[in-house]
Amino acid sequence: MGIWGDLLLTSVFIAVVSLALFWMAAFTLWWQMHAWRTPEVLASTRFSSPDGGEHVSFSLLLPARHEQAVLDHTIQRLLESTHTDFEIIVIVGHDDPETTEVAERAASRDPRVRVVVDTHEKKNKPKAMNTALPHCRGDVVGVFDAEDQVHPELLAHVDHAFRTTKADVVQGGVQLINFHSSWYSLRNCLEYFFWFRSRLHLHAQKGFIPLGGNTVFVRTDVLREADGWDPNCLAEDCDLGVRLSSVGKKVVVAYDSDMVTKEETPGSLMSLLKQRTRWNQGFLQVYRKKDWKQLPGFGQRLLARYTLMTPFMQAFTGLIIPLNIVIAVFLDVPVSIAFITFLPAVTALVTFVFEVVGLHDFGKQYGLRVRFVHYLKLIVGGPFYQVLLAGAAVRAVWREQRGRNDWELTTHVGAHLTHAETRAGTARDLREDVTA
Amino acid sequence: MTSTLPAVTTPKVPAQRQPVPTQRSTRRTTPPLRLRSSRPDLLLCGALLVAILVVQGWNIADYPTLSDDEGTYLAQAWAVQEGRGLAHYTYWYDHPPLGWIQIALLTWIPAALSPDSMTVGTMRAAMLVISAISAVLVYVLGRRLSLPRWAAGLGMVMFGLSPLSVVLQREIFLDNLAVMWTLLAFTLAASPSRHLWHHFGAGIAAATAVLTKETMLFVLPAVFVTMWRHSHRDTRKFALTGAVTACALIGLSYPLFALLKGELFPGSGHVSLWDGIKYQMTRPGSGFILDQGSGSWGVLQSWLYYDRVLIVGGLAGGLLLLVTWRWSVTARALAGPSCAVVILALVAMRPSGYLPAMYVIQALPFLALVLAGGTASVAHAVLRRRRSETEKRYVTGARYAVAVALALAACAYVVPRWYDGARTAVIADANAPYQAASKWLAAEVADPEDTRVLVDDALWLDLVHAGYEPGLGAIWFYKADLDPAVTKTMPRGWKDLDYVVASPTVRRDAVDLPNVRAAMEHSTPVATFGSGDDRIEIRRIRSDGTAPGGVR
Repeated sequence: MGIWGDLLLTSVFIAVVSLALFWMAAFTLWWQMHAWRTPEVLASTRFSSPDGGEHVSFSLLLPARHEQAVLDHTIQRLLESTHTDFEIIVIVGHDDPETTEVAERAASRDPRVRVVVDTHEKKNKPKAMNTALPHCRGDVVGVFDAEDQVHPELLAHVDHAFRTTKADVVQGGVQLINFHSSWYSLRNCLEYFFWFRSRLHLHAQKGFIPLGGNTVFVRTDVLREADGWDPNCLAEDCDLGVRLSSVGKKVVVAYDSDMVTKEETPGSLMSLLKQRTRWNQGFLQVYRKKDWKQLPGFGQRLLARYTLMTPFMQAFTGLIIPLNIVIAVFLDVPVSIAFITFLPAVTALVTFVFEVVGLHDFGKQYGLRVRFVHYLKLIVGGPFYQVLLAGAAVRAVWREQRGRNDWELTTHVGAHLTHAETRAGTARDLREDVTA
Repeated sequence: MTSTLPAVTTPKVPAQRQPVPTQRSTRRTTPPLRLRSSRPDLLLCGALLVAILVVQGWNIADYPTLSDDEGTYLAQAWAVQEGRGLAHYTYWYDHPPLGWIQIALLTWIPAALSPDSMTVGTMRAAMLVISAISAVLVYVLGRRLSLPRWAAGLGMVMFGLSPLSVVLQREIFLDNLAVMWTLLAFTLAASPSRHLWHHFGAGIAAATAVLTKETMLFVLPAVFVTMWRHSHRDTRKFALTGAVTACALIGLSYPLFALLKGELFPGSGHVSLWDGIKYQMTRPGSGFILDQGSGSWGVLQSWLYYDRVLIVGGLAGGLLLLVTWRWSVTARALAGPSCAVVILALVAMRPSGYLPAMYVIQALPFLALVLAGGTASVAHAVLRRRRSETEKRYVTGARYAVAVALALAACAYVVPRWYDGARTAVIADANAPYQAASKWLAAEVADPEDTRVLVDDALWLDLVHAGYEPGLGAIWFYKADLDPAVTKTMPRGWKDLDYVVASPTVRRDAVDLPNVRAAMEHSTPVATFGSGDDRIEIRRIRSDGTAPGGVR
């Protein structure tokens, strides 16, 4: 044995790790590119044009917390919807008089707006929405965030989708739009783009879907049957999707660039890290709740397992690729083994290239001017973003291990934020979205 | 906005195939989405395939004459199988090794069952697999490029049965493998489902083709053109960048391989990729192809000797399609193959380039497709052009009469010539001298393991199977002058050798190789097979004081 044995062991180890990484990255890439597989698939990801008929009534939930600055505008915009049969239920906290005042004023102006007060001692979004659920009169419950820009024709399209597809859940697109703000917001925007534009459709097709935090519409009876949202889960949106699709409810996803709900990225790197930590922790919780085990197909369960574990695997990939190449170049392994170590890097490169093309397409779709420097930022920022994701994943695992799986992080940050940290930042910290 | 349904979560629902507005405005019968389930296509393609395999496979070992290059590649494939690395002499980046690695895989099972069968004549049979795949791909590609069934069949026939194809596709040339990969790239690029990963696969196949035989680089633009035409506006940028990326990444694996071995750049004491490329780029030119008396002219004549139809007709077809680009649907559909023909023709016409005889192999499928497309275009012009519902019956009759007359005339010209070519291929025995020489060396030399023989590559494996030591016992003749690892084992030059097998190749090249020439001069023939320029002499080195290997 001796040196030869060591070398053999190293070689086998490197080969196994590299191949595992390669397949992980390859699958992720395959799924990420789902929507562009064929022109037919791409066409099928859009909303179909409404036929003018309206048969579904909506109850739109609008949880708001310390968001008096943006809330009124959001309500006004929602009221401009072309759909004729909907109510808006603004959910405010009993300890938040400013927001309550804005909500009450809107309610007094328009009978379609109602206010529900959440009196939970520890507040979070699922608790707020569960409080409002008994008050919903519509056939369908829709969820929006207080600072969302909603397209006036969205409800008509969703109505049509419910009627033509007999769906139980319709998930519309959410898109971060401020790609020019910083290097990480560029990547963050693109993550959303690939997630809502492409990957989510694959999940819908496969029958396992983690839903997004807003622009999501669920039939009221289905939602009540499922007992609403899980108040103890950090990713209650993902959890709801997993629970509903696991019992065979039909979920439809539609993405239209002019119909998406536009949002902004977290205001600072730290808040992005915290948000991502929470999602990861949420995904881990959903994984542990094991609802996905009810899925009928083996492939579906595998997809569920993989998807809920993705953040961790991605983190792992990002850290191990450079290590692997260093080993390949500096350790004296056979050429064939050294070759294999480059496989994960190859998939990473292909992913990079598709991201560049994706950024171009994103700019085209939204009529935004993407400059050369943005492509440069996208590429240079890639490895750093990987590190950020890895950090968030490690943090999430650590927190989950320590039992810190409550909403303390969010509520505290929200409650303790000073005005200097900007209202928008607070709002964003409180927002729940789906991870990509 | 397209009026389509959103994706749904029922597992039973397959990926939706909504019709997308097509950009192709063909009025012809579009090929079925799945050729596999089209019975007429299967029957036609299957029947033609059998004919091609019979003509190409019958007598494959005995015709054409064994070529030195075949020996080279098969011997290197043998080295791969034996675990001796990429070649039994130092691999010096003359060509990317993927070609003979594939040959090694292809011949693995027969070689494992019967090690002695690993000789050029026998293993030509493996090339039938490649020919079959390529021929089917020509048909599929023809159909995917909207050729009518008969025209796709015509293309397949011309590709597989032209006497030029029969001769060249029988031989173990890397070009034949590269053609298969290129055709696969084209076929994937023209995938009717316009699937992202099909285009990605086309990029991988194209890169594999280039790594099999580097001259395929010239055809890459034509693959790109095909992909561009066949992708949909909405998904094109993803498909094309994906394909280009795949192609580039696979292609880069070759320099990466050299880098990992520390042989990317020249240095003392080792070979390098850089030197290999430099050698290929600075090979002495063979002159302008239309310059009578130049080497290239000779090569062209040798092609035309076997078949004028495919070369002249194919080039004419290419021109016709280019000229009728504006009006002809077929011309636009065949943009990729026409593009390949034009590029390859232009490259062949470089005044100072090196033009090997195998060069034409990579043009064969495109010449065939373009000629078939040109024929389809002419047929369409004669039968359908400006034809109205109310056309008089006698006019229609005249159209058909003209079409039949043209077809008969073409057949009258082509069939006798091709029949002769096929006949020669099935009955000629061009390799009897080689086989006799091989037998002699196996039977008449007492202790082959201690005997050193200069031999050309085509016979080398025969000697190895007969017990000669690979590399330093059985020696590729030119290595005696060109490979330091070999020359250092013969400090006394020709005196350290026992035999020279003087085949036409050895006699031709000995002029420039001092050691080989000396060995020829200091030897006398002990056995001669065949006669005239094609004869093979086994020459024993005159034993001036040295102890040659024991001869009975």
